[in-house]
Amino acid sequence: MDFNIFKNMVIARAEELGIAEYELYYQSSGSAMVKVYQHQIDQFSASEEGGACFRCIVNGKMGYASTEDLSAEQAAGIVERAADNALALESEESVFLNPGGMEYEDPGLKNYEIPATEALIAAALKTQSKLYETDPAVVDGSETRSVSESSRIAISNSKGLDLSYENNLTVVMTEAVVERQEEKANEYAFKLGRLDTIDPAALAKKAVSDALSKLGADVAPTGNYPVVFSPEAMSSLLNVFSSVFSSEAAQKGLSRLADKEGQIIAAEIVTLVDDPFHKDNPMPIHFDAEGSPTHRKNIIEKGALKTLLYNLKTAAVAGKKTTGNASKAGYDAPIGLRPFTMYLAGGDMSEEKLLKKAGNGVYITDLQGLHAGASPVTGDFSLQSAGFLIENGVKTTPVKGFTVAGNFYDMLQNITALADNVELSRALGMTAFGAPTTLVEGLSVAGK
Amino acid sequence: MIPRDVCRRVLGAAMATGADFAELYAENTVNHSINMIASKVDAIKDTVVAGAGIRLYKGLRSVMTSTVDTSEEGLMRCARQAADALGEGNAPIDIVLKERLFGDVHPVKIVPSSVSNKVKVDILKQAYFAAKDYDSCITQVTGVLADVDHNILIANSEGLYAQDRQIRTRMAISAVAEQDGQTQTGFYGPGRRMGLEMFETVIPEQVGIRAARQAKIMAGAGYCPAGVMPVAIDNGFGGVIFHEACGHSLEAASVAYGNSQFAGKLGQVIANEKVTAIDDGTISGAWGSVNIDDEGTPARKNVLIEKGVLKSYMVDKFNGRRMGMESTGNARRQGYSFTPTSRMTNTYIAAGDDKNEDIIASMEYGLYAKEMGGGSVNPVTGDFNFAVTEGYMVRNGKICEPVRGASLVGKGSEVIKNIDMVGTDMEMGQGMCGSSSGSVPTNVGQPLIRVSSITVGGR
Repeated sequence: MDFNIFKNMVIARAEELGIAEYELYYQSSGSAMVKVYQHQIDQFSASEEGGACFRCIVNGKMGYASTEDLSAEQAAGIVERAADNALALESEESVFLNPGGMEYEDPGLKNYEIPATEALIAAALKTQSKLYETDPAVVDGSETRSVSESSRIAISNSKGLDLSYENNLTVVMTEAVVERQEEKANEYAFKLGRLDTIDPAALAKKAVSDALSKLGADVAPTGNYPVVFSPEAMSSLLNVFSSVFSSEAAQKGLSRLADKEGQIIAAEIVTLVDDPFHKDNPMPIHFDAEGSPTHRKNIIEKGALKTLLYNLKTAAVAGKKTTGNASKAGYDAPIGLRPFTMYLAGGDMSEEKLLKKAGNGVYITDLQGLHAGASPVTGDFSLQSAGFLIENGVKTTPVKGFTVAGNFYDMLQNITALADNVELSRALGMTAFGAPTTLVEGLSVAGK
Repeated sequence: MIPRDVCRRVLGAAMATGADFAELYAENTVNHSINMIASKVDAIKDTVVAGAGIRLYKGLRSVMTSTVDTSEEGLMRCARQAADALGEGNAPIDIVLKERLFGDVHPVKIVPSSVSNKVKVDILKQAYFAAKDYDSCITQVTGVLADVDHNILIANSEGLYAQDRQIRTRMAISAVAEQDGQTQTGFYGPGRRMGLEMFETVIPEQVGIRAARQAKIMAGAGYCPAGVMPVAIDNGFGGVIFHEACGHSLEAASVAYGNSQFAGKLGQVIANEKVTAIDDGTISGAWGSVNIDDEGTPARKNVLIEKGVLKSYMVDKFNGRRMGMESTGNARRQGYSFTPTSRMTNTYIAAGDDKNEDIIASMEYGLYAKEMGGGSVNPVTGDFNFAVTEGYMVRNGKICEPVRGASLVGKGSEVIKNIDMVGTDMEMGQGMCGSSSGSVPTNVGQPLIRVSSITVGGR
């Protein structure tokens, strides 16, 4: 059934049960994907999903229940289940719904028209053929996908809050598989934005040249020496450790940054920013998962921890104001915290100059196994890595099959140079992470 | 869920433009989880997931569409969208659907959705407080008790009409320990394809104690040294080494496209002769088991590697077309909005005949990896990694001090040859495996094994 009819049924049931404080959160998305193998469309998919989450305050606790089935039965069901679930909760922390009346910045949405399927097909076919044209080492197994996605969020509550957001996005992603003398390597390249601004030749060239550069890789030597992270590699480290800046993690003893606000936690050159309206984030959003306005903030400024990320509940515990960083890991998830566009601010030197400063070391372009080999609670990481040796200040031989190990909290103190080339990576989904090329001392390399 | 005659009309509409195969998959799933932190029940997640996906094949092309609207009108719209995407053509077709009953080898005694929050909270608290009260060094514990009631319906143009109900229960406890300013964590998360009767054999207190014990040991441990050395990997979740180093590269999703180190190697020796590896989706009550896979093919026991020789891949229908092979019952999808592909179920290295004490005694200097975390692999190159969450140094054939922060990296096709001792005590561990068709429950398993040489990432 239509969401608005469903919504009215939910409200009617809540009122029948005498539930005075409630919220309905609705998230839906539609996507289309075209995949090319060899020179033909191999797969096409078009999916539509969406779900509604009802939460309410009963006995001072916040109960949740969700459904993707927008039926009359479920409209009543989520209200009853949420109220019942609230009764089983024990946490004594105060809970809040958005009181309304907040002011929002203009999200500056660059809303694209969703391209026609034919255009997605054309972009994927063209990029794929450019892969093969770029170099004879490109082999079958290479593939290109183009994806269009539209997402919608709507929040309304019993205090009169009524917000909505809609965003469209197109991505072309290509994977080059190259083979020389029975050795294979692969690399991905992707570009977000309007289809007509995506250059298939440039995208194919990047994937192919990055894959080729990985062939003939050696294993890096074991030891402690300077490690340089590419913008993408540093962004993925920030991604996995971003939860250390969550006030909830700090309040629950799951981050070592509890009680560190105002203190020096990083090298003086380090400034870490969260900016929901960053120009390169394709999904700027003007309200968080609790409906609070989002805004730009420095999390670390010149090495000092300025603020953790707060939502309404954790801010009340700390006696502070929300920073507008409430999030949900899915429409049905409880409120948590996350940054929107978290990036390490750039320095004033070129990457070339930074490599000279490193002298001899290793340049990491790729980190794997982040979900397992890194712990935000302890800060420890030991990660499968690939990249290049740095010899006398320049990138030389490709290396792989080794690990880089250290501790994130210590690493913040041991950043000794930042280049001026900040790039956002992995900007899919609501959160984007970014960093410049970063030089770190004091990490351990385990290879040969 | 959806009547046979509706399925028949929807499949007919889907095939109107010349598809040679059509499938309707519908899902109705109830996910429920209870979370504890700081000794309190903190959150309850309670979700009904419902929708349907339609797939078409025409030769080596496939189309998938999905919708949350499972009314006949919604399904017909979804079918026409798929048919249009496949292209022009006209092929009226009459499909006869026959209900096939595959039986249920995983009978559930206590259906979780029939049990109140209070009963579940009581079970979770037994585990939670066993961890919290284990030792004064335990500073925080988080716990979750999750259950899933996953109902699927699959109908296809070959006449299949089948349903399956998959009930799973899992408990996970994470403990944080602090000693001398060092913080470390411990984790244990057993799961079964069962209802709450799971806790007749998995004792909640033991789950909590196991997580807390690991946190305490690791908080007192020094860093693992780096280098290339022999490693003994224990049973249970240790089987993640085969899952990452080899399993993903044996999935048709990689093999069909030539993106696997093991493509074209059937019948050849790819592993040490000590290695026999099996994927078995039929084990009663096991976390990764299914009666039928997500294309409606009954689950099977497939020997992947026998004494080092590659015997079989894990194949789904669509990738099987490209390979000229039949489905092995390995098609899986997280839900209706994912395109299914070949995935693992319960995958393990079978028991061998080396004694545990001989394996440890054989190592002059190396690492004993008692508990493992997750990992990942690039099937194109076979480069893989996984984390050791509880390790000990081995010197002169004796297990010595605990070490933390280790990870293991290597190349699958090489490491599988270096598994040169295989113990007798096969056991499985539970995980959620993420890949293109979403997150699916899988078991990994093995007895204690020795890898003669592998890179240990430490410091």
